[in-house]
Amino acid sequence: MEKTLSALVVHDIKNALALLEIDLEQLIHREDAPTEGIRAYRRCVDLKSRLISFLTLYKYDQSGLQPLTQEVVLLEFIEDLVRHSQSGMAPESHHGHKITVSIDYEKMQMGRMATAWLDENLVELAMESALNNAIRYAHHRVDVWVEQTPDALILNVQDDGVGVGVVGALMQRNIPDQSSSTGLGLALCKAVAEAHGRGEVRLESISGGGTLFSMTLRSAS
Amino acid sequence: MATILPQGSSIFDKHVENEYVRFDKLSALVIDDISSMRHAIRTQLQSIGMNSVGVAVNAHEALELIGVNTYDVILCDYNLNKSSSGQHFLEYLRNENLLSGTTLFIMLTAETEYSFVANAVEFIPDDYLLKPCSETKLRSRLERLIDRRTYLIRVLKAMDIRRYDVAIHECNKLLATAADDRRRMDVLRRKAEAQLKLEDYTAVLDTYARAATIRADAPWILLGMARAHYALGDSPQASSLASELIDKNKNYVAAYELLAKVRLEADDEEGAFDLLLRSSVILPSAKRLRSVAQAAFLLGRLDEAKANAEAAIQLSTGSMVERSGDYLSLAQTLVDMGDHKSAISTLEKNARKHGDEGIFGVAKGAILAQAYFDAGEREKAKKLMDRSISLLASRKNSFVMTALGKAALKVGDVILGLKLLTKAIQCSGKDEMRIARHVKKSMVDTGQKDKVEDVIDGGRKRILLLVDEATKLMRTAHFEEANQMVVEALDIQEENIETLMTAAQLHLLWLKHEGLDDKIMARAKTYLSMLDKLVPNNQKVMNFYRFFNEIASK
Repeated sequence: MEKTLSALVVHDIKNALALLEIDLEQLIHREDAPTEGIRAYRRCVDLKSRLISFLTLYKYDQSGLQPLTQEVVLLEFIEDLVRHSQSGMAPESHHGHKITVSIDYEKMQMGRMATAWLDENLVELAMESALNNAIRYAHHRVDVWVEQTPDALILNVQDDGVGVGVVGALMQRNIPDQSSSTGLGLALCKAVAEAHGRGEVRLESISGGGTLFSMTLRSAS
Repeated sequence: MATILPQGSSIFDKHVENEYVRFDKLSALVIDDISSMRHAIRTQLQSIGMNSVGVAVNAHEALELIGVNTYDVILCDYNLNKSSSGQHFLEYLRNENLLSGTTLFIMLTAETEYSFVANAVEFIPDDYLLKPCSETKLRSRLERLIDRRTYLIRVLKAMDIRRYDVAIHECNKLLATAADDRRRMDVLRRKAEAQLKLEDYTAVLDTYARAATIRADAPWILLGMARAHYALGDSPQASSLASELIDKNKNYVAAYELLAKVRLEADDEEGAFDLLLRSSVILPSAKRLRSVAQAAFLLGRLDEAKANAEAAIQLSTGSMVERSGDYLSLAQTLVDMGDHKSAISTLEKNARKHGDEGIFGVAKGAILAQAYFDAGEREKAKKLMDRSISLLASRKNSFVMTALGKAALKVGDVILGLKLLTKAIQCSGKDEMRIARHVKKSMVDTGQKDKVEDVIDGGRKRILLLVDEATKLMRTAHFEEANQMVVEALDIQEENIETLMTAAQLHLLWLKHEGLDDKIMARAKTYLSMLDKLVPNNQKVMNFYRFFNEIASK
């Protein structure tokens, strides 16, 4: 009974958040949309995405995730991902810096119309959370790129922040602290990578500052 | 806003095709039972630029709208209401051919339910969207889907008007120029569907084999191959492919259903029942519960038959998949269980809204007759049975004849009972196997086990004998005697093709030998037109017609 009740409540809150998001979305479409409105929209999107991450992880803990793989055109997928991260206004770090998110075409390793078999909804959820996390800790920019090898697909997100050593040693632990949004996001990425067959998630500091997040999906090529 | 189109990176710059999607020309239907959600999604679609967006609260409302409009996009919530899901609705639309091939069906699901649902079924929507989603996401998904549809539009339109040959031709044109594997797979899938419609199973297998070189373990390829092998009579190969599918995904209901068919043909009724049961547990739909109830009934597992028939009624009541026949199955099961009281109340109270009209009324009377007989009310039973028989008249419904035959046997009219059951077999057509099992059960239940073989034979042996005799007599120009044999054979089964062929041939020869006679000529004409209806475009029948015209024109 208690479980059913909490499920109902969570479902209800999620739907309410989504409706709020849609209302705010309409608001920021206006020419004269106030900055506060845009900020409220961003908060709402973030909150909803955290709740959905949590629910997905919960599902993973209870019964595992069964990916529904479809053939996805990688470039389309990445471009949409980057575009969504910028809807409304340029994203901001938690210090209030404006962050530029772009695709690093130089580092892309794949054919022009390259495709991969993956669960678009799950991978999108994971990548959104990785991207949001990178934006939060970046100074100026976040780069995204994809490498496709014969037996793996690697999705990369790199920021120019201070690096994992400073902001999130906890993220490298096997069992991330799910109470922080970074930890929650990372746990979600791990779950999604595992659901795509022996996948893995890495988070490392790079020389010259910044953090590189990479998610490897083995069954996606 | 920053543009994300690549700049100065020449290998990517052709990728702008989505920019051309014109949303203002497209229409959409949103189906969701929560009003705020329904309207929010409509707002999003309008904000994207769609001018024509309809909304529906439930499947019923949606069905009415789909009946009068062709939508470009349907967005349907997975959780429509307690008894029917978006998946049920999609299955219904596809089964009844109510959805144009050009309509995109998008299922909206919550993240916790979608992967289970999505992996389990045969009728997959064009896409799944996690609900609720942002406008930008909705827009980019729609752009991509519409782009895919536009690519296939000639194929889809040809399929819609059942010009499968044209569809295949269009597929071949696309395959010759397809730029990537994803498009090639899309086209191959449609091509196989068109070939399947034309029942060209060898070609179907070729197409799937080609698709398998791109991605060998796609479930739709395995299922399609399994079905084609089954249609070609290669049951072992069909079974092994279906089992492979289940190994990969234990929730793949369509594979269970195909395996059940194979088992049933091998007379493994128990095995078939288990498979059907499993598929109905994974994804209960009224249709699946019905087949489980029927299989259980035929196996004499009456408790399970009852439970599943009741579940089918409960699930379908008030929805578009409601069938009055469910009450008949349940009532017959109850009669066989010895619970005549419940059988009577099922038909007289619960099924009251279906009335006494038509074929339902006839079947209802037949089952009620059995129940009242068991209740000791023999007069009433006899009355009900007589009424049903008089109403049966020219109707050829095997199920009803089986119920009536059983009633007659119960009441003690063995001759009438056996005659009805034989008739049931004779007009069962494609359903022969199933009806034969019903008839067999009815006879075993009423102590007529020793005559099962004769009845199931449906008089076939006797017909063969008569036709054989008629042929011999006709060759020796004993037309009158031959005709008597044919008439007797037609009396046993009037739509027997072999008998009709012999009858037609006999009359043509008769006319040729003995000259034109109005009566013989009229009979010849009747036989030919019956044959033309039963086996249209048959070469032999065409020749008969030509011969007949030659004689008649003299």
